[in-house]
Amino acid sequence: MPIQNFTARVADSTLLTDKFHYLHLELIEPKRIVFTAGQYILLSVPGTEQKKSYSIASSPEMDHAIELLIDMSPLGVGTTYINNLKLGDVVQFAAPSGQFAIAQPGTPIGDSEKALVFIATGSGITPVKSMILDQLQTRKDVRKIILHWGLRLESDLCWLDEFEELARAFPNFQFHPVLSKAEAEWPLCRGRVTDCFEIHPMVPEAGYYLCGNKQMIDDVQKFLLQKGVSNDRIHHEKFY
Amino acid sequence: MAVTQGSNLASDNAAEPNTTATGKYKVTVLRDKCIGAASCVAIAPKVFALDSEQKAVIIGQDELDDVKLLAAQSCPTAAIVVTDIETGEQVWPK
Repeated sequence: MPIQNFTARVADSTLLTDKFHYLHLELIEPKRIVFTAGQYILLSVPGTEQKKSYSIASSPEMDHAIELLIDMSPLGVGTTYINNLKLGDVVQFAAPSGQFAIAQPGTPIGDSEKALVFIATGSGITPVKSMILDQLQTRKDVRKIILHWGLRLESDLCWLDEFEELARAFPNFQFHPVLSKAEAEWPLCRGRVTDCFEIHPMVPEAGYYLCGNKQMIDDVQKFLLQKGVSNDRIHHEKFY
Repeated sequence: MAVTQGSNLASDNAAEPNTTATGKYKVTVLRDKCIGAASCVAIAPKVFALDSEQKAVIIGQDELDDVKLLAAQSCPTAAIVVTDIETGEQVWPK
């Protein structure tokens, strides 16, 4: 879809954890948005003409609003602006942008991907959540769908209930959170997300969707290529 | 931006100034500043591409001025310079 300018109203602004800020933006004009899961918006920040890129977390099925999850740790002009937003404030953005998307069945790559494996670090979960919601709820994708999400601390975890609920509702979906600074009692995967990913058995003929920091993407990409995964089945979006 | 609310940034609109595909803006990439985020490629794929070193390169100038400017403004390191070729003025970064 072509990029358009939007105005939207802040309908929810919540600091979910010390690290992540959730925004729900109800569209004012245009009232509807058409985007592909995995795409992002270019938020206008008053006082600067530079646009800040934030991936959309919500499903494309919800076309009257968008949800964002923003990593507040960079402490730049974008995060300062978001931190000061109040309910009812009006924001402006251009959207949709980005080419990080699921290879859909009917395309040569899409048809070759017999399962989908998502590997995210930090706020890299944002476009991945949109993709997973879209595949499971809207497209009724019955392929095996696995999510590995790497964070530092248990207190960084958000949306845990939502992903666990998805795993209950859709037996083809598996969720593996992994913490690099886990407490002793943390029962699940620990270490880097790549450690978690390497522990679990490889899924044959899967498509891999990576989103997060550059180091993780480089490491996973190298690992997958060594395992013989075709480069055209490795899709990624680097977050900076 | 000279774009109206809800307008389509990627469409031709001959009635508007600066919206022909051969507009007055020229973009260049500061290679040392480019980190390969590729937001420019996503917004203006007719103008930008990533090379083998994952750096943005110019592959054409045939795009709407507003789209070129948006691509430049989306760059997290301000590695894209937009120049008005009629006046010589640097439009972005300011």
